[in-house]
Amino acid sequence: MASGGPALESLVDQVISVITNDGRNIVGTLRGFDQATNIILDESHERVYSTKEGVQQLVLGLYIIRGDNISVVGEVDEDLDARLDLSKLRAHPLKPVIH
Amino acid sequence: MLPLSLLKTAQGHPMLVELKNGETYNGHLVNCDTWMNIHLREVICTSKDGDRFWRMPECYIRGNTIKYLRVPDEVIDKVQEETSKSRSDRKPPGVGRGGRGRGDIGAKPGGRGIGRGQDDGGRGSGGRGRGGVGGKGGNKGGGRGRG
Repeated sequence: MASGGPALESLVDQVISVITNDGRNIVGTLRGFDQATNIILDESHERVYSTKEGVQQLVLGLYIIRGDNISVVGEVDEDLDARLDLSKLRAHPLKPVIH
Repeated sequence: MLPLSLLKTAQGHPMLVELKNGETYNGHLVNCDTWMNIHLREVICTSKDGDRFWRMPECYIRGNTIKYLRVPDEVIDKVQEETSKSRSDRKPPGVGRGGRGRGDIGAKPGGRGIGRGQDDGGRGSGGRGRGGVGGKGGNKGGGRGRG
């Protein structure tokens, strides 16, 4: 691991979950990042939450997300994640970040 | 891999750019710089609600207004060739200042290699299935006036 503390280096090539400032949840494989927390997400999809129906997954593909727009980057436990039944999961969508 | 290297590699490819105000721009990337300012050609701009469209021959977008860029999947496979060629003799723009402290450009820490590490099988089938980008309510900020 590169020096410089808690960077995203340890998550490269792993599946991560990103919460953006507009309240979206994007899951994909981290391929790269920089000092501004711009990130490359490969094979990404958006999980759209609703209280009326199960979680919808939209295929997004290869994304560069600008760091400005990122609230949270989380590590995903792929085994655990695979065991989720998204079609039965109900949740309120996130609200956008208020600056 | 640096996001801006990927962007640079995407020159000549089609891409979708969503701005912080919710507008999206579809076009071919002509050029970009280390601030993520981008120059697109053959552009279709879509309003935040997805109900209005504008065609323009080209446009220039200031980097800090961008929310995200969606680039074709195959572009990531082309980056490797370029970085492995250039890494030894030239610093990519935008690095070398603070942050990750890579004193030694040639050496990659952790022995992670630059290969993709997994087979491509399983993806690349079917369309990229967009829809709803820009049509998603929930972010604030009205559209800017545009002539």
